[in-house]
Amino acid sequence: MALLEIANITKTFGGLKAISDVTFSLDKGRIVSIIGPNGAGKTSFFNTLTGIYKPDSGAITFNGKSLLGLRPDQIAARGISRTFQNIRLFADMTVIENIMVGMHVHYKQSALAILFRLESFKKEERESEQKALRLMKYVGLKNVENELAKNLPYGAQRRLEIARALAADPQLLLLDEPAAGMNPQETEDIIQLFRNIRDKMGITILLIEHDMRVVMNISEDICVMDYGVKIAQGTPAEIRNNTRVIEAYLGRGAVAGQHEEKMQ
Amino acid sequence: MVSSYFKELFDKVNQGPLAYILITVHVIAGTYLVYTEPRSNLAFLVLITSFMSLYFFQADVRFKLFVGAVLALVIIPVVGVRNIFYLEVIFQISVFAALALGLNIVVGFAGLLDLGYVAFYAVGAYLWAFFGSQQFYVLHYAPGTQPSDLPFLLPGDAFYMFLLVGVVIAGLTGILLGLPVLRLKGDYLAIVTLGFGEVIRVLANNLDKPLNFTNGPQGITPIQRPTMPDFAVDWFNTIFSPLVGHPISPADMYNLMFYIYALIVIIVIIFVTRRLDDSKLGRAWTAVREDETAAIAQGIPLVRMKLTAFAVGASFAGVMGVLLAASRTFISPESFSFMQSIGVLTMVILGGSGSIPGVILGAAVVTTLNLQVLQGFSLYLNELRQSDAVIPVINFAWKDLSTQLDPAKYQKLFFGLILILMMIFRPAGLIPAKRRKRQVAPEESK
Amino acid sequence: MKRFLRYINVYELIRPIGQLLTFSVGSAALMSAIVVALALVLDQTAVGVHLMDKLNVTVFNYTLSNLPQVVIDGLTIGFVYAAIALGYTMVYGVLQFINFAHSEIFAVGAFVGVELLIFLQSAGVLAGASLFMAYAYLLLAIIMGMLAAGGLAVAVERIAYRPLRGASRLVPLISAIGVSFLLQDVIRLVEGLTTGQFNRIMPTFGNFDERIIFGKLSMGASKLVLGISIKSIIVIVVAVLMLVCLNYLVNATRVGKAIRAVAQDMPTASLMGINVNRIISLTFLVGGLLGGAAGVLYALKFTRIDPFVGFFPGLKAFTAAVLGGIGNMTGALLGGIILGMLETFAGSYMGIFTMGAAGSEYKDIFAFGILILVLIFRPQGLMGKNVGQKA
Ligand SMILES: Nc1ncnc2c1ncn2[C@@H]1O[C@H](COP(=O)(O)OP(=O)(O)O)[C@@H](O)[C@H]1O
Ligand SMILES: [Mg+2]
Repeated sequence: MALLEIANITKTFGGLKAISDVTFSLDKGRIVSIIGPNGAGKTSFFNTLTGIYKPDSGAITFNGKSLLGLRPDQIAARGISRTFQNIRLFADMTVIENIMVGMHVHYKQSALAILFRLESFKKEERESEQKALRLMKYVGLKNVENELAKNLPYGAQRRLEIARALAADPQLLLLDEPAAGMNPQETEDIIQLFRNIRDKMGITILLIEHDMRVVMNISEDICVMDYGVKIAQGTPAEIRNNTRVIEAYLGRGAVAGQHEEKMQ
Repeated sequence: MVSSYFKELFDKVNQGPLAYILITVHVIAGTYLVYTEPRSNLAFLVLITSFMSLYFFQADVRFKLFVGAVLALVIIPVVGVRNIFYLEVIFQISVFAALALGLNIVVGFAGLLDLGYVAFYAVGAYLWAFFGSQQFYVLHYAPGTQPSDLPFLLPGDAFYMFLLVGVVIAGLTGILLGLPVLRLKGDYLAIVTLGFGEVIRVLANNLDKPLNFTNGPQGITPIQRPTMPDFAVDWFNTIFSPLVGHPISPADMYNLMFYIYALIVIIVIIFVTRRLDDSKLGRAWTAVREDETAAIAQGIPLVRMKLTAFAVGASFAGVMGVLLAASRTFISPESFSFMQSIGVLTMVILGGSGSIPGVILGAAVVTTLNLQVLQGFSLYLNELRQSDAVIPVINFAWKDLSTQLDPAKYQKLFFGLILILMMIFRPAGLIPAKRRKRQVAPEESK
Repeated sequence: MKRFLRYINVYELIRPIGQLLTFSVGSAALMSAIVVALALVLDQTAVGVHLMDKLNVTVFNYTLSNLPQVVIDGLTIGFVYAAIALGYTMVYGVLQFINFAHSEIFAVGAFVGVELLIFLQSAGVLAGASLFMAYAYLLLAIIMGMLAAGGLAVAVERIAYRPLRGASRLVPLISAIGVSFLLQDVIRLVEGLTTGQFNRIMPTFGNFDERIIFGKLSMGASKLVLGISIKSIIVIVVAVLMLVCLNYLVNATRVGKAIRAVAQDMPTASLMGINVNRIISLTFLVGGLLGGAAGVLYALKFTRIDPFVGFFPGLKAFTAAVLGGIGNMTGALLGGIILGMLETFAGSYMGIFTMGAAGSEYKDIFAFGILILVLIFRPQGLMGKNVGQKA
């Protein structure tokens, strides 16, 4: 059984169909990419999956249970974590606090334990601090635990967002353009990080990405969207040669050349 | 430029024994001045600013605690009973500090702008006013028509129980109001809470019919106080009357008692606030404040977290309301106006939203501004009016100064100015909130 | 002349009048039907008996004989709310920001207009003025109130809001609350220092207090007087004129197009070469002008003003804006009219219908009840589109 199954979801804004009858399934332990031109509906797809948007119709099942009607926090508690296209950290909190917020769904501390600083509370706090530190190291952040998130450089902020998402121990990690704005070296590192997350932590990854180096390099499966419609799905080799996909990109005039280049 | 120079200078003195000496000198100077000049506002300001020395200078925590305790438990009671106005100022500072701490949870931590915060204060106050007075037996009388020999519903000592009841009922009111409105976006929430504040005030004004719950605009009086054991007065007099210079009356002792109770409540509130802040709850509040969408995607239930913040903040106001009703023995709707809510908000913004020492400082500054600086200024203007003095260059006789120019009546103007200026020049407040630095212990071997 | 007329978009002149008419008649009819039905029911209950004992009329007759006046009053105040609500809604549309100080902009307009008339009165020109001159003076007062309020609104934006653009949402809102408080006391101070008192009374002049009686209907024991005071007519006419002008400005001119562009997407509008700061200033100016005029009209209708006069009308107008759908101008008109009606009906009939348990003293908080209900059940308002939050 697939980890995530999406059947015929549609989401409209006024007259605009941001997602149109998309069906999609994702097996456990895979790395899959969603690509498509700007405005294709990729982010909306993530937002629908995580409960921020309610789909007009269709079904979403995760681990065999429907996610429809659940609030975003309930969906997060089911094991889906995400990052955002334009980084959304808790700017005025420290790095380590950002990650500790990520663990929210796992905390057991009760009001009593909090007020009277019971041993159980202290232990849990200590452990989550240590876990946060491990995650920082894992994504490549060093000695910045007490920095405010807003003071980190751009690349580090992207990493912190990933660490925060990992803190919830998700089964599925959704990454929205994680390599945007990174230089080749950083991109290389982050590809390695994603492989690691999947291989060592066993977390399934679904990512939206424009950078074809990342997409072709890492994905086992690629889903292509255009105007809210899923126009193709397949391995990188299949997608490279899919005429509809090439048309979708080539049809875009000015940006076409650039995209074609990237796809080679 | 200038400020960095001062900061350097401050850092230079703020170390080693010099800091201890400065603290001690400030406290002693303040005490001496107030003791010798019991009517001087300035002397009193010197004394209470010694709390700031205590906060800003670096010294051993035990030393600070000791000096703080001497200040709060010996010096202030003694100078307070010598000039009861000082005690009143300190009491009001304490009450407002507690309110500001409560609002700070809602505005500072969770980022929810509550413009009707004193409604919860009113709930606490009217709760004890109703149960701790004759009002229960006045239900069927229109205001002013009741016989004077009605019994009291509960004994005065039920006050202690009602401190807890106030916490619970105000907290529940917070949840009840919050449930429908906390889904709203921030700025709508502000207007709705403002509306709620008005609703409570209008209810207090008009629920004298069909059944007389609140006695309308006249307010409820007398409200009972807890009994004062005789030994407390004797005991205080044996220890302190040489310092005070005369034995004190039970009435003064009541003022002292409520001051001490207010202090206890504040200490409990600070304790609760700090612990909540440093837990999953406080982190979730701050996360919600920083970015709701990111917070909910992290698994934080928005509405529940906001409700908790609302309830905790409300309960602090509730307990202070009960205390206020008992200490004043009289309450009326006037004390719970929109202006009071904005006053408390001003304290939070001025001091630094999210910062515990900040909002206490804010409460102290705004309250002294109201009670001492503005009123002092008004008195001074009055004196000038009565004199024959003339402003030299423009040849303006003080006598002709309009009596409308009475600074004490222009609190709104100052609240407004403070809010605007702080937002433009120092939005984080006088003492900005700081995030705690964590020293993470090295990994334990398993 | 003909060529000039070609440039006038007649449709945009007629459309708002049609809307106003529909909204007024619709809400008046609906509210009347509700109270009349209620009255009929209540006549069968203790309420009917009680009223019969006290005033010797049935609830039905009582309700009906007051109805024309209640409708007129509701409309009058409804148009005033609509004019204020437009100020909130336009600013919100452009900046997504509640201009909390708008209520004091309104108050300043009222004070400037009233002070001008008081000055004219003390100069002796009002007393002997011909009817024509009386109207001219009133118009002058309205215009001065508008100019003062418009200028103040622009200044406030420049000083207290613009430096805060881009900060988190609560920051400009808190600043706006500060401005509101500051202005209240500044009005009080200025009035106190210059006139020695801060409750001001609108001078009586002209024929504004007279009533035009259309006719009388006898309804069993009681008489139904169909009439309207000239004041109310003035308020309604001036408000309608302003609303039509505003609608024209926003929907049929280049500047209006720029305003709508900025409201829709500020960065893009700025890229298209629109001077966003100018448009924002203009928005505050227009909102201020409307608010100032509403202030003078309010003073004309209710006669007495004080420095806090803006508080409740401001809150109610904001409620009206939310009720109609904030950011939506037609919505503000609808919301203002509905709110004015609801409030007047409630204030007039609640006391009778509840046997005095809850009467007009709850009128002022009635609006909040509506606000909360709207926000819970239809947060986008009656005419707003439901826009999901972006992530
Ligand atoms: N909350 C929203 N309200 C209105 N339109 C939206 C909203 N979110 C997305 N859209 C529209 O849906 C379309 C798809 O957007 P998006 O999912 O962000 O595309 P992508 O991530 O593929 O670039 C765009 O036309 C966008 O304007
Ligand atoms: Mg996107």
